[in-house]
Formats: sequence, C-alpha cells, structure tokens
Amino acid sequence: MEGLDVRMRGVVCRHGRAEVVCDVDLDVVPGQRVALTGTNGSGKTTLLRAVLGLHRDVAGRILVGGRGTASAAEWAWRRRACAWIPQKPAGGRFPLLAAELLNSCGATTEARDAADRLGVGSLTDRPLHTLSGGQLQRMYLARAVGCAAAGAGVLLADEPTAALDFSGQEEAADVLLSLPVTVVVVTHDRALVERCDRVLEMAAGRMQEIR
Amino acid sequence: MNVLAAADIVELLRLVPVQRAGGALLLAAIGLPVVGVVIVGLDIMPVRFAMMHVALLGIAVGLLTGLDPMLCALVACALAGAGVAPLARTQDGLSGAMGLLMSLAIAAALLVLSVSGVNAAGAFALLWGSILSVGSADLWVLAALAFVVPGLFLRRRRDVALLLYDRELALVSGVRVERLTLLLLVLVAVSVAGAIKLTGALLVDALTLLPALAARRLGNSLRSITAWAIGIGIVVNLTGFLVALRFDLPPGPVLVLTAGSAVLAVHLVPEWRIASWRTRASAYPSSH
Repeated sequence: MEGLDVRMRGVVCRHGRAEVVCDVDLDVVPGQRVALTGTNGSGKTTLLRAVLGLHRDVAGRILVGGRGTASAAEWAWRRRACAWIPQKPAGGRFPLLAAELLNSCGATTEARDAADRLGVGSLTDRPLHTLSGGQLQRMYLARAVGCAAAGAGVLLADEPTAALDFSGQEEAADVLLSLPVTVVVVTHDRALVERCDRVLEMAAGRMQEIR
Repeated sequence: MNVLAAADIVELLRLVPVQRAGGALLLAAIGLPVVGVVIVGLDIMPVRFAMMHVALLGIAVGLLTGLDPMLCALVACALAGAGVAPLARTQDGLSGAMGLLMSLAIAAALLVLSVSGVNAAGAFALLWGSILSVGSADLWVLAALAFVVPGLFLRRRRDVALLLYDRELALVSGVRVERLTLLLLVLVAVSVAGAIKLTGALLVDALTLLPALAARRLGNSLRSITAWAIGIGIVVNLTGFLVALRFDLPPGPVLVLTAGSAVLAVHLVPEWRIASWRTRASAYPSSH
C-alpha cells in the first residue's frame, strides 16, 4: 500500500471567536483519494491548513502516518510527509523564480520533469508573479509531484484545478491521481470529484460522508 | 562653492581620514545594501526610525548606568529586533510593530533621560556620526558586516528567497522560518544601529535602503536583486564621495542625493527596456 493514513479526532478550528471547523472526525486509509466539497466558507481550506500547522487555533488530534506534532521535529516530519497545493498561491512580496519554487520540494529533477509534462517547463526562469493563474497552478502541481518523489505520503490539494481550462483540468487530475500517495483534494470540479474513491462534504464546519 | 581641481582631490585622498572614509564606504557598499534587500523584502521600511529611537533608549540606559552608551544602544537594538520577530507571523505584523516600537522606545528613552537627569540633546548627539570620523574599530565592524551579511545570503539563499516570497511556502518547504526571521531581524537591527553610529542617521538610507529599492526594480530574483544592490551601492558610494570631495560638500547629503537620483533614474527607465536586459541576462547559463 502506498501513501500514509490520515486520522482526525474531534478537530475544531477557530478564526477568532468563530468556529469554522466543528468537531471533525475522519479516517483516510493509505492511498485513498478523497474529494472534499462544500460551499465557500464551510471550513475546507482551514481544515487542510490545520494539518500543516498553518492555521494556529486548532483543537483535537490530527495524525498523519500515526504521528502527531508534539515537537518541532515532528512538525518538520509532518511538513515533509504532506505535499501542499495552496488555494491561492501567494502573490509574494518579493520575486521568486519558478525554478526556485520547484527546487523547494527536495526532488528538483522530478519536479522539472512534471513541469515539462504540464507544459510549463519553459517558464522556469520566470518570476512567479509574471505567470498567469493557470501557469502558476501547474507550477505548484509540478512542485507537488516533486514532493511526492522526495518522500511525501499525502497530498493536500486545495482547488488545484480552479484556474485551469477544461483540458488543463483533465491533465491536472491525471497527474494528481496518478501519484503514489494519499490524496485529499478540496475541489468544486465535478469531473475530479467523480474520479475520487470517496467524497466528503463540509457545511458550516461539519463534515459528512456523501459517497 | 569651492571647486577643487583633480590634483587637489589626489592630495585629499592621501589624508588618512579621507582614505578611511573611502574604505568605510566601500565596505559599507558590500554589506549594507544586502541588509536593505531584507528590509524591502520583509516590508519594514520604518526600521531605521524605530532603531534610531531604540538606540536612543540604549544610550539613555548607558548614561544612567555608566556602561558604554553605544554598546548599550547596539544591545538594545539587537533585543528589539529579536523581540519583534514573533510578530512576523502575520503579513503586516512587522511593519505595524516598527511603528509601535518607535513610539514605545522614544517614550521610554525620554523617561530614562529625565530620571537620570542627562541632557537629551547630549544623548541625541551620539546618533549623528560622520563618515569622515570613522575609526579603525568602526572599519572592522563594517568589514565584519561586509563578510557576514552576503555570506549568510550565499549560504542560505534558498531559505531566504522562500521566506521573503512567502512565509507559509517557506514553512512547508522545511525552512526553520522562526529562527531565520529572528536572525534576519537581529542582523537588520544591529546593522542599522551600527550604521547610524558610523555614518550618521541620514546616510543609513543612502547606504542601505536606496540601493535595495533601485535593485528591487532591476532584478527578478533574490540573487539578481542582491547583486544589483551591491553594484549600485558601490557605484553610488564612490560617485557620491568623489563628488563631495570635488565640490567640497558634506559627504552625507551628497551620498543620499546620489543614491536617491539612482532610484529615480531606475524608476524612469521604461519596463520594456528592463525586461529586455533581463532576457539578455537570463540567456547566459545560470546555476539553478
């Protein structure tokens, strides 16, 4: 079996006083492809960010590969174990070259090959802020492929196909679902949802199983 | 205006204080513009004002306790830099923190000065260094900065580039973000405080911030921006210094005006022109 399992128990995330994720329990087995759907503001992005420690106000337990995050070393392991495609890649206060983004995953060759396959291989010497939304999304996808090659066991993808055209969406879904990792993908893309093993929906911070 | 002939400038350049000032400016042109790149990257432009006030607080504490006031100023700035590091978690946490730091430090400084009965003007005077009065200890400090700052950038350029682009991307890429932010902020605080003492508060902008601002427009990656900043720093410092000598003007304001003109000139260059330079530059094989 490839990939790592993800387990959540009683996960609660707050933004100030507002509870945006309420008491979520979840078990994802290794290698499973899970689509996470739901209306805007239902807590999907916050839940993914909580796994990576990017959202600070989190209660409950989140385990990846059976490991928690009690120490800095465990956080470092968690962030290596989970590849991330952000929903809105940062505009950036300072320029970063696409090549530097690809290098940041730890497996540059594989990330560059993926960028070639996704049609953005020729843009690697450009700063990220000069790329279009779709090109940027492909670049982050290529980085995620590199992360998987570098040993990540889970891919947390937040609307990875939102900025892509139809053929791009299909191509990106092919790449995402072909990776030998557990996938949790937040998406509104019906075709991608159809291709996942399991579908969850979030509404007002609560999670329910759809399929 | 007293215009000097070329022969007189050569004569001036034989004087030890002038040689030291020239050397100090050259060394400063290597280390300080890189610090400027960090200031622009972390979006903490008011840091110079904040550090001036924190330094004043340090001087006040030094005068009160009888310790070396400049040493106290440097320590106070290093502590203040480290103290604001946790606020870097949010996007505008740091720039707001600089304003707060400035207000709190000046209030505390005035209180300490009042309690210690020291004349505030005397404490302020310590902040107005002059490039023509740098001693050999100051030169060593600048040399250390010229070595340490670009060295850190060279060794940790992947981490610094990711951090300055996006803190969260750096975090998930395994960069020890909190430690690196702390290191950069302490480095910025100490460099700015040191530079205020060595060169006077006005010159800090010319040596630190202005080359970085010009470079920010010319470069398209951390590496190229840093290289441009150092290059512009060296050209501006030498030009400004020679102009000041030639026309017998105070070096500080001349250097600031030279650096400011460089920033303006760079911003007047049309975007397509800069883009074509970049294309040519990236046509050469690069190491990434």
